[in-house]
Amino acid sequence: MPAVFRSPNPLSRIWHQVAVAGLLALSLAACATPPPADDPEAVADFKATNDPLEPTNRVFYAVNNGLDTVILRPAAQAYRFVVPGKVREGIHNVLSNLGTPVQLSNDMLEGKPRRAGDTTMRFLINSTVGVLGIFDVAKEWGYPNHDADFGMTLASWGVPEGPFLFLPVLGPSDPRDAVGFGVDIVQDPFTWVGQGAAVTALGWSRFALSAVDARERVLDSLDQIKKTALDPYATFRSLYRQHRHAQIEALRNDNRATIPVWFPQQAGPTGNGP
Amino acid sequence: MLHRRQVLTLAAAAAAFVALPGAARVALAQASGDRATAFVKATGDKLVAVVNGPGSAAQKREELTRIIDQTVDVDGVGRFCLGRFWRTATPDQQKRYLALFHQVLVTSITSKLGEYQGVRFTVGRSRSQDEEEVVSTVVERPNNPPANVDWVIANPNSAPKIVDVIAEGTSLRLTQRSDYASFLAHNSSNVDALINAMQQQVASAG
Repeated sequence: MPAVFRSPNPLSRIWHQVAVAGLLALSLAACATPPPADDPEAVADFKATNDPLEPTNRVFYAVNNGLDTVILRPAAQAYRFVVPGKVREGIHNVLSNLGTPVQLSNDMLEGKPRRAGDTTMRFLINSTVGVLGIFDVAKEWGYPNHDADFGMTLASWGVPEGPFLFLPVLGPSDPRDAVGFGVDIVQDPFTWVGQGAAVTALGWSRFALSAVDARERVLDSLDQIKKTALDPYATFRSLYRQHRHAQIEALRNDNRATIPVWFPQQAGPTGNGP
Repeated sequence: MLHRRQVLTLAAAAAAFVALPGAARVALAQASGDRATAFVKATGDKLVAVVNGPGSAAQKREELTRIIDQTVDVDGVGRFCLGRFWRTATPDQQKRYLALFHQVLVTSITSKLGEYQGVRFTVGRSRSQDEEEVVSTVVERPNNPPANVDWVIANPNSAPKIVDVIAEGTSLRLTQRSDYASFLAHNSSNVDALINAMQQQVASAG
């Protein structure tokens, strides 16, 4: 068998199963009852909320919340308690550096050459000077990080987000981001590289560490929301969408010129160049 | 009803504004941006001083309440968060709701900042958005990654008030509004139920 066509590692097979389970659940989904048509404001609210699968979504929210309470949150707390802040920052940077191939691919699919350049420079600088990505030197050198995933790429292509989804294990999403999640796994070279126990173990470690790292970074914020929100599910729904819109807005507004500063600059339309 | 002279003055002022050369208008916008930035800086410094200062939790809460009263348009934000239900609420419900909303806001801000001895913030740039100024800051809390927080300031020139706080792209008032809207949708749009729930929330937060 040629090396290129190796089967994906077991981790992606698990995700495949998760995705199938999710789709199955969706096909059994109960639908939210729309408000009576004689209350136009309530109907407008219902449409704006765009959560037709709300009853099913709430079930998955409850399940995820239970899993989080007994597994992920304690793990994140232990991680914060045991590992010093500077080390956690380093681990976060390494994980983020491992994500650069997917990021670069999405930057290019989004047609953002400056973002792709930033990502490339970040990978080159941080993998070497930054010691395998532990230190984010590139940020200091003028290559700041940005968000890029295939959900955002689809958004930049004009694909609408669709109704709100709360997926088992994965949490808040929508059809666009759920597809994006799958495509990002396929785009990730680490999905396709290598076989054997060591690779599998590394893949799982990366996955587990990413989950704990991501959870630790929002420990205080999530506790806060669960404590103060009257309807945490609705609050997370709103927060998720607002956050995604902000990321997509930042992507759309990033229209920096593609000529690097050190290159002889072209005369602008009103310029006084030669 | 407007007086004739007032109308004339207004018209003259409007004409003067339209006739203002571009540079002057840019300078005007710049000035309101500077004022908003200075306002956020002053408010932030006051908040940080209280949070990092000595004093018990109760004392800090009292001082934070005072600062919030001075700098945040609490009633305006409260009305916004109730959305369309504000109009259907009785005057009595509106009054009780606003009083509770005040406490909810203070509790929420106190618990967001109060526990963080060593909180720091840096003021960045400002930009105009409709009639409001948006001032960007970076808030650093111990144990947490730095957060980009934008402050939306209404009337930056005359009486600056904070009308919204946007953390990492998520607006405080929009989030609160959707929370209340969803609660009301599941409680047959009963504002009294919302008021009771808020009451319990404030009581349990102590």
